[in-house]
Amino acid sequence: MSGRGGYLLRKVGWALLTVLVVITFNFVLFRVLPGDPAKSGLRDPRLNPAAVEALRERFGTDKPVFVDLEADNPFDSQFTAYLGALSRADLGTSYAFRDQPVSDLIGQALVNTLWLVLPSQLLAIILGSVLGLFAAWRRGRALDVGALTFSLFMWSLPTFFLGIILLVAGAQWFGLPTAGRVTIGANYADVWEAALDIGSHLILPTLTLTLVLLGEYMLIMRSSVLDVFGEDYILTARAKGLSTYRIIRHHALRNAMLPMVTLIALNLGFTVSGAIQVEAVYSWPGLGALTVSAVADRDYPVLQGAFLLIALSVVVANLVAELIYGWLDPRVSEG
Amino acid sequence: MRRHRLFSLLVTLGLLLAACGTTQGTPAGSGGDGEPSASSGGGGTATGGTVRIGVGGYPDSLNPGNGVLAESYNMYELVYDTPISVISSGEYVAELATDWSVSDDGLTWTVTIVDGATFHDGEPLTAEDVAFSIELYRDTEDFPFLPSYAAPFETVEAPDATTVVLTTADPLVTFEAYMAFIYVVPKHIWEGVDDPVAFENEEMIGSGPFRLAEASQGEFVQLEANTDYWGTPPNVDGVIFQTIDNADARVTALTTGDVDAITEFPATAVSTLQNTEGITVHIADIAAGGSLRDIMFNVTAAEDCPADVGVCSGHPALKDLTVRQAMAMATDKQQIIDVATLGTGSPGLSMVPPGLGDYYASDVEDYAFDIDAANAMLDDAGYEDSDGDGVRECLPDQDCENLTFRFNYADDIDTAPREAELLQGMWEQIGIAVEIQGLDPDTLTSVCCPTFDYDIILWGWGSDPDPAFLLGVALCTEIDTGFSETGYCNPEYDELYDAQAVEQDHAARVDMIHQMQQILVDDLPYIIPYYQQSIQAWRTDRFVGWPEDDPTLGFEDPSGLLALRPAE
Repeated sequence: MSGRGGYLLRKVGWALLTVLVVITFNFVLFRVLPGDPAKSGLRDPRLNPAAVEALRERFGTDKPVFVDLEADNPFDSQFTAYLGALSRADLGTSYAFRDQPVSDLIGQALVNTLWLVLPSQLLAIILGSVLGLFAAWRRGRALDVGALTFSLFMWSLPTFFLGIILLVAGAQWFGLPTAGRVTIGANYADVWEAALDIGSHLILPTLTLTLVLLGEYMLIMRSSVLDVFGEDYILTARAKGLSTYRIIRHHALRNAMLPMVTLIALNLGFTVSGAIQVEAVYSWPGLGALTVSAVADRDYPVLQGAFLLIALSVVVANLVAELIYGWLDPRVSEG
Repeated sequence: MRRHRLFSLLVTLGLLLAACGTTQGTPAGSGGDGEPSASSGGGGTATGGTVRIGVGGYPDSLNPGNGVLAESYNMYELVYDTPISVISSGEYVAELATDWSVSDDGLTWTVTIVDGATFHDGEPLTAEDVAFSIELYRDTEDFPFLPSYAAPFETVEAPDATTVVLTTADPLVTFEAYMAFIYVVPKHIWEGVDDPVAFENEEMIGSGPFRLAEASQGEFVQLEANTDYWGTPPNVDGVIFQTIDNADARVTALTTGDVDAITEFPATAVSTLQNTEGITVHIADIAAGGSLRDIMFNVTAAEDCPADVGVCSGHPALKDLTVRQAMAMATDKQQIIDVATLGTGSPGLSMVPPGLGDYYASDVEDYAFDIDAANAMLDDAGYEDSDGDGVRECLPDQDCENLTFRFNYADDIDTAPREAELLQGMWEQIGIAVEIQGLDPDTLTSVCCPTFDYDIILWGWGSDPDPAFLLGVALCTEIDTGFSETGYCNPEYDELYDAQAVEQDHAARVDMIHQMQQILVDDLPYIIPYYQQSIQAWRTDRFVGWPEDDPTLGFEDPSGLLALRPAE
């Protein structure tokens, strides 16, 4: 097998295998945690043993985890039940919110998360790349030093701290909202008022997340462009008398983008995991917040669902990155 | 959030009734002119805009049977009615029930239900619905809490539209307390539900003063005034409970006016808020305190260790009462209150907090703080620091090296790390070392009970309106069930507990409950460092009538909304 078709097939095959491993690993991982979902979801030890038993039966945690060779049906286990349900695209019902299907919980949280994280990622990618490019171009000058200092500072600043500072400053000085996605219970006169409200709620969390993400993009872009600038073919281009714009646009950028594609793909993959700290500061009901509370409640079905979704999106993002790689640099897919 | 569910209800109900102004002296509305209701609010009912409350959590279910968190119960209190309510003085008063009585043998209860109450969908609320609700909670074993409040009722009947007759196998002294948890749901909706646990109850049809407008998991709950309420309807248009996860963000939201009130914020923000114009900080009177911090010791005796699950690895020296007494004497309760809670608590005694009225035994004899006496006591008992490392060695007949104890605290309590460090410093002075480790509540439960795989745990409790609930944690019979946290067992205590459970004379029951508190302090399965005072803060620019003039009302949960009216 060689050529593009083989490359594609190989990559997709590996991706599928990864997902299978993740499904199993997810299942084991949470059951290693100490604690009992039948009790922890309820946060009260004053349950009579019969009630706890009834809950275990409802959750299915009364069954063996993998196999019980002494039982009548050794394969009637939590794991086979999980795989069976998964094959029907059924993620189960939350333990902590006993009347809520996991898919509903995760679906709503996912929408909220994308709402916040996607604009931030896009802004950070665009601003970071442009800043990195200019910094590299102006290496050693004031712009470079300034951009570098700024990026390093933002990158190393704890997200939580930056979030709180921006929240207090933005709310006190500019009257921006402190929490949530919209003003709850607001009756909008028209579409513009609604947009304004949503926009004003987005400003602070997006700004926080963009600032935190921007540094990394800027630094990678800068060093990658600098690498390329050192190559012989750039020197040749210069010697040919090409304009700086042409050199960057046609000779440097495409090669310099390779590491960026990796980074963007990785980050976009993790986008769905939410921005746990930003979500916590701005009370954003996203996937990050949901995952954190699910860990505290030993809510296995929600955790399994959330981690599966995160794993899937990381795998898919990586797959896309590999494919883009092949297109940006044909040597990758031929080799 | 764990174990802090029940007490807030007491306050809720108190506020509700105070606000309705029917049976109470309307203390809550005394912000200006004494009469809180519609006449002073600008002419009509529900003229007043929507109150916004910033809260730390969010309800875990719209289905009253499924609720676990305090936030859920706050919502149920507003959307549903219960037959009987409890107010903050510990008194039980009528809500849906106009009257209730028990037969001479104490086994048959007859409850008269108010005539003319309706559900939010317009259907009348009758005794049928009350009976149905009691049976629903009793028979749905998978509901986490409510079945225990309905379990004693063997038969439930509604002979006519306003009468419910209940029978029990044994006399039930806590009848009123149980009735305060029966949220009456409409039979015409719920009888068609196959699996009540899986029922999302998205419409949430109740009969309470507010109805559900919209709810978004983890984000907000919006309630609107029920203008057709059979009692006195609210003066405001509605209320929004907005979830603001971060405590600093909650404080900021209040100062900028995004919300009108907040609950649950760090004591460190008190002075900032007190100095902000237009904001009132209300620290509840300790007499309304229903929550406590507890230091529990693993004292499980080998013969009491639960058969299958028990690990019972408690430190042998902690089973010696002398060691626990010395630790109690070396615990400076006031310092913990001053440093960790910035003064918002009062020194604790036993498992019954002052908010429970006459059940609280304030005259219990406690151990005076005295480091020297504590040291002398350990010296006399033979615990000596022979190797000079600052930690006393165990006695020869104990299977241990020295008095170094594992010390876990619940990491969801924000002041717990500070309190643990303070305790470490105090006990260090009597030659006792602790290794501190914070654990999440679930892990804590798994090391606690009924495995008893710990030495010392720092945790907290919120009390039921009735003391029987919290006093139950020290029973011998609860060791196997995991409700006992310490493995403590004293048959004399169990006897008193059984006796008070059927004692129909209130004074005699109170006396028994006081004796039990003294036993707990004498035997020291727990040290109670302090009882907590709740802190709330609110703005007065949009709404007035916050319950600030009543010292016994903590605004622990925001249902005083019923007394609120728009500012002029």
